[in-house]
Amino acid sequence: MTGFLSAVYNVVRKDLLVEARTKQVTTTATVFALLVVLAFAFSFVKTFADPRLVGRGALWIAFVFAGTLGATKTVGMEADNAAIDGLLLAPIDRSAIYVGKVLSTAVFVVVVDLVTLAASIVFLGYAPAPDIVLPLVGVLVVAAVGFSAVGVIVSTLTHQSALDELVLPVLLVPLVVPILLAGVELSDALASGRPTGTWLRLLGAYSGVVFLAGIATFDYVVEG
Amino acid sequence: MEGDDTAAPAIRTANLTKEYGQFVSVADLSVEIDPGETVGLFGPNGAGKTTILRMLAGLTRPSDGSVFVHGTEFEPHDQHLRSRIGVVTHDSMLYDGLTARENLRFHARLHGVDDIEDRTEEVLDTVGLTRRASRRPGAFSHGLRKRLSLARALLHDPDVLLLDEPYTGLDQRAGADLAAALDDLEDKTVVLTTHGLEQGLYHCSRALVLDAGRLEADFATRSLSSDEFEARYRRTIGLDPEEVAISE
Repeated sequence: MTGFLSAVYNVVRKDLLVEARTKQVTTTATVFALLVVLAFAFSFVKTFADPRLVGRGALWIAFVFAGTLGATKTVGMEADNAAIDGLLLAPIDRSAIYVGKVLSTAVFVVVVDLVTLAASIVFLGYAPAPDIVLPLVGVLVVAAVGFSAVGVIVSTLTHQSALDELVLPVLLVPLVVPILLAGVELSDALASGRPTGTWLRLLGAYSGVVFLAGIATFDYVVEG
Repeated sequence: MEGDDTAAPAIRTANLTKEYGQFVSVADLSVEIDPGETVGLFGPNGAGKTTILRMLAGLTRPSDGSVFVHGTEFEPHDQHLRSRIGVVTHDSMLYDGLTARENLRFHARLHGVDDIEDRTEEVLDTVGLTRRASRRPGAFSHGLRKRLSLARALLHDPDVLLLDEPYTGLDQRAGADLAAALDDLEDKTVVLTTHGLEQGLYHCSRALVLDAGRLEADFATRSLSSDEFEARYRRTIGLDPEEVAISE
């Protein structure tokens, strides 16, 4: 178990270090997220009286984009120079590579979402009550892990089968609909004080199932 | 399946086969390679050399047959056997976002190398890259990247080295540097693929000649001159001298 966790840690550490150097994912996704917020600010603020509605929309649209871009880039990083082969040759459990890629993608998604949240507060007047900020971030983290769990597998598949990156959203989005639905409903329920149990269970269960499915299938997906 | 590690061949394949749909890339390959032997896989494009190397490395799953490393059947999940193999392919398997030293340290950590700092400096020195260790491989020439790939493959001191076209794209000087680095690997079992008959003959004590995925010849090369080796290779793959002259 120590070896597994150590391998996961090394993969995540390497991904974050490469991202800190290149800033490919965070810069692109953050700029897009800010553009979404600004577009929402110009388009919808006067139309919708409730800024919570607009802020929530901006948050989850940025989430989808950051997740898709994050999965594409973290998997693409391994495709460059066939770096993935170097990982596969290492004497580590191959599912540790998958878990590491999922966690680093999730980190990118959460960072971009926090930026979006801050921008939504500034530009859209979306101000979640202080007592729901932490649960909202918790929802984002679980949703990010679930989204990344699917994203890393689908992105690896598209790279291995030489499908164009444009195919990725077409394959990915239908598979993450339960996560998006649960995420949007949970952020609404948290803000309005409605019960969160059902959506929370859906989010947790679906994220857990796709994560475990990814662990079980990664070896076959990644091997030529 | 456990075997006797000391008496067993370093590598043994039993009816190793790889098919991609209807296309047979490697057909029924059964060979044994002794510890410390340096064996060259020779053959024209599409002969199946790279596929064989990838199956030996556990990077490609065979359609049929088995690979044994030191007497133990090599399954892709076998982490212990993976630690005994080092691989250099056309691709560097390096991250352009990390420096040469960081790349090696990352791989050393994954391989559970004991003294990461010292071992990293040692292999950098072996391939002559100590002065350039703080640069990113993206800024390296093809030859330097190849040397860094070799350093990565040597980090965990594997006893089996698999080298896929190590000389491709290298100029004369880089090729000589690489040859010198490979000369220092006397104690290791080396399997290399190459189109360069001269280089193959220089390094290898035995040649496996493949054509269209089939093993056509297996012979010792030490007693052969360069011309004899080339003539035998041409005969094996059915090339007459005129065809060679045209293709060259």
